[in-house]
Amino acid sequence: MRPSEFAASSTVRSSLVAATAFSAAILVIFGFVYWQTQSYITARIDSRLMQEAEDLANRIPSRRAFLINERLRQAPRQFDFTGLFAADGTPEAGNLQAIPAQLILDGQPRELSLPDAAAAGGSPIGVRAIARRLPSGEVLVIGRSLILVHEIAEIIARTLAVGAFPAGCLALLIGILLAIRNEKRIARVNHAIRRIVAGNLRERLPTRGSDSFDKLATSVNHMLAEIEALLQGIAGAGDDMAHEIRTPLTRVRARLERARRKALDPADIRGVLDEAILEIDQCLAIVTALLRIAEIEHSRRLAGFGSVALGPLLREVHEFYEPTAEAKGVNLSLAAAGEAEVVGDHDLLFEAVANLVDNAVKFTPTGGAVALSLLRDAAGPVLRVADTGPGIGEAERDSVIKRFYRSDKSRHETGSGLGLSLVAAIARLHGFTLRFSGQAGCVAEILCRPS
Amino acid sequence: MEPSAPARNASSDRRLARRVLLIEDDPGTAHEILSELVDRGFAVEHAADGLEGQAKARNGDADVMIVDRLLPGLDGLSLIESLREEKLATPVLVLSALGSVDDRVRGLRAGGDDYLVKPFAFPELLARIEALLRRPVESRDTALRIGPLLLDLIDRTASRDGRLVELLPREFKLLEYMMRREGQVVTRAMLLEDVWHYRFVPRTNLVDVHMGRLRRKVDADGEPPMIQSARGAGFILRAPE
Repeated sequence: MRPSEFAASSTVRSSLVAATAFSAAILVIFGFVYWQTQSYITARIDSRLMQEAEDLANRIPSRRAFLINERLRQAPRQFDFTGLFAADGTPEAGNLQAIPAQLILDGQPRELSLPDAAAAGGSPIGVRAIARRLPSGEVLVIGRSLILVHEIAEIIARTLAVGAFPAGCLALLIGILLAIRNEKRIARVNHAIRRIVAGNLRERLPTRGSDSFDKLATSVNHMLAEIEALLQGIAGAGDDMAHEIRTPLTRVRARLERARRKALDPADIRGVLDEAILEIDQCLAIVTALLRIAEIEHSRRLAGFGSVALGPLLREVHEFYEPTAEAKGVNLSLAAAGEAEVVGDHDLLFEAVANLVDNAVKFTPTGGAVALSLLRDAAGPVLRVADTGPGIGEAERDSVIKRFYRSDKSRHETGSGLGLSLVAAIARLHGFTLRFSGQAGCVAEILCRPS
Repeated sequence: MEPSAPARNASSDRRLARRVLLIEDDPGTAHEILSELVDRGFAVEHAADGLEGQAKARNGDADVMIVDRLLPGLDGLSLIESLREEKLATPVLVLSALGSVDDRVRGLRAGGDDYLVKPFAFPELLARIEALLRRPVESRDTALRIGPLLLDLIDRTASRDGRLVELLPREFKLLEYMMRREGQVVTRAMLLEDVWHYRFVPRTNLVDVHMGRLRRKVDADGEPPMIQSARGAGFILRAPE
């Protein structure tokens, strides 16, 4: 990733924002601490100033000057500035040359700037001071430097410098590192996605741990697995179809080639051509059946649905197949005494039952029986086709509805291998269930209700 | 043509070559259909797109039209609809690669008289063209008679030379359908569509088995056969020689 791209990426931007916010929070905390400390100290100084002023005001006037000078001498840091001035402003005691101009003689502490008495040259320092006029007409000024506040401010600033600034930098650094890590993960995921898009369906998104990102990747991987399975199914169906069609086409080709090589008489040639047409018809039947299944499977339109009486439908199927069954020596019986109606497409349901009967008659040996019946269980009507044929093994019951599936028992029979797929597609369209059971023989049932 | 055929609308043209207008854009398919029809003695005119077909159809001298559904210029169904609006009643066989039930219904609703899905076998195409050319007139007859065979449409009974032929209801319908198309090849698909009203293709020999039963009833031992198989196509009913 180029630096400009990196800076532009949203994760980097959000980590910068987070680091900035973190630093701002630290600044606010320190600011608050400073403000609280300063207010506390100022309040303490103010109350001490007022006490001292009160104390001095209550002293005997003649002792005041002495006391002031004495206190300045003994405890110079207690009150840095004290001054007693005559009514006309002439200094009488203390270390102030004049009443500071900013002061109002109301006995309220104020903040002002005075030349530092302790330091030579007297650079101005911040002072909290109070001035009041005494009953004698004199003016008393007491001040205390705010040096302590400044020192605390300095300590806080130093703390901020050695603690908060690195903390902010650390936050920024961690943010950027996390961003880089995320960017790398996203880049890996993007790579994986590009490979998937390019056709490598085996590819999966990388997962490492169990954070939410990994959970997302795991879900996507699960989805990819499903899609892969589906696509393999489709590809498999395509392969099967190609194979199913190639086999008869190969036979046709071989026959035609042989007929051309050998000088056959017209009657033989006609025979070969007839066989070729039969084989091609078989291919066409497969294609037609596939299109039919696709048509049913893609049909989400239920406009053709209406009320279908199942009794007459079974009688119709019975009538249609009875001659064929009889010709084969199979007894096709019908038990559709009760009446039942379902919502569905009559022609499609007929086709489904017809296909089941067709299969049953086909696989039932001469002398066997096929029983067509309309039952009713607690959940709804059941269309049942039971035969005395070889049956469908338990292991094969899911496979028989797959396209082109032929059980070993049916391999020698003609057919497209699509009949039961078609029945299953019709059942699915109706929301019905196709079920195979039976110990001896096969029992195929369409349960007119969802599974 | 059978001299005993009942009078039909187009009977005046009977002796002339019957004219077919083929509107089909695929040159290969068109060539095959054209050659086959010419071999069978039809006079065929060909149009390769919808607009050309519409112009030729408006001349109105075709006895039957074969119209492909997907055509350049003007699609088959719109073409048929426009002709029907102009009160042109020439029978139309719609050809289509679209085989779903909906497509078929749409094709017939647009004014098509029959619908054949590609790919088709030529005997099927010929049988259907023949059927369109000789569409049975909706008669109010109470009985149909072909040679010795009599079908009473009121009593729903059939007899041959006075011998009662016992028929199941479906067999009666089947025989009636055959008798109304006497001397004409009817294909298995036509029977499935028109007698059973099924639109799916079951194993082909199902119709044969039904027809076999009917045949055994109509043509008793020793009687000259009236129902015959038309090789590779279907069945045909005609009066015995």
